[in-house]
Amino acid sequence: MQEATFLILTALAADTQHGYGILADVAEISGGRVRLRPGTLYTALDRLRGDGLIEVDREEIVDGRLRRYYRLTGDGGEQLAAEAARLQANARAALARLDLAGGVAT
Amino acid sequence: MNDRESLVRGYRRLLACYPREFRRENEEELLGVLLSTAADGQRWVGIAEAADLIRGALRAWLRPPRQCPPTVRAAVRLMYAGAVLELGVLVTVIVTEGSVRSAILARYPGLTAAQWHAVVLTHLLPDEIAAPIVAGVWLWMAWASSRGHYWARVVFAVICGLEVLSMVTALSESAATFAPADLAAGAAVWIVHAAAALLIFSKPSAPFFRPNPNARFFRVADSPR
Repeated sequence: MQEATFLILTALAADTQHGYGILADVAEISGGRVRLRPGTLYTALDRLRGDGLIEVDREEIVDGRLRRYYRLTGDGGEQLAAEAARLQANARAALARLDLAGGVAT
Repeated sequence: MNDRESLVRGYRRLLACYPREFRRENEEELLGVLLSTAADGQRWVGIAEAADLIRGALRAWLRPPRQCPPTVRAAVRLMYAGAVLELGVLVTVIVTEGSVRSAILARYPGLTAAQWHAVVLTHLLPDEIAAPIVAGVWLWMAWASSRGHYWARVVFAVICGLEVLSMVTALSESAATFAPADLAAGAAVWIVHAAAALLIFSKPSAPFFRPNPNARFFRVADSPR
């Protein structure tokens, strides 16, 4: 799973979000390291909807413009959990080896 | 025209690059987010923003539609890979021209400049010209297959057949001796395309390629006389 996809799914893990909210949340989750642009975000959202990982929760009109809220699907939640577990296992292994070698203390 | 209207116009021009289906689904919402992220008083679309939207449009065009079955999606990816490999064939033919000449000279020491020129004109140059055209054809096939066009499978089968013919001709002209790298590159492309052909002719792909009853050909054929 690409990092952008992982971060978008993570942004939707706790609650529904609209596009602008996802952009801000992805920046916050990544500590400002990943700043998605709207074109990249919406191409990813369109793909994730096609793959059944997210879906539209509701639509609102704000200041005359469409605002769509997205949420994770069951399948999306499962895939995110699996990817998070994989990353966590890798990170744990890396940190354990660094610790054994007398490197970075955890 | 004020700053906002000018900016909206700029965004709309770039959003027009996206496929119709994507625009119908996302344009108004994406425009809203673009305007939300724009700086106060911004009048023109920034270079980075424009690059991002063009990149997004390219991805949206290249991605198979949602209703595309997994087998066709895989075939389309292979066709894209085949198009890239086809350009690899072009590079291989150009780079190995010297070794081809050496191999021919080793077999026929009396090869004159005119005879070598004839080899280039009849064998190498056609391959160099054809490679980018064929790459374009595979991109077209990928697009047509991902849209479920019935004729795409027929055209695909014909092109695969022509490729087999081309490989057999190359083998009969001792390409394995004189241009083994070119032959290997051609074989790699053929294997990718054969795999794509197997996928689009597989059982799960068949319903996606059903003839469109509204297509003109079928309307004419089915019309009462």
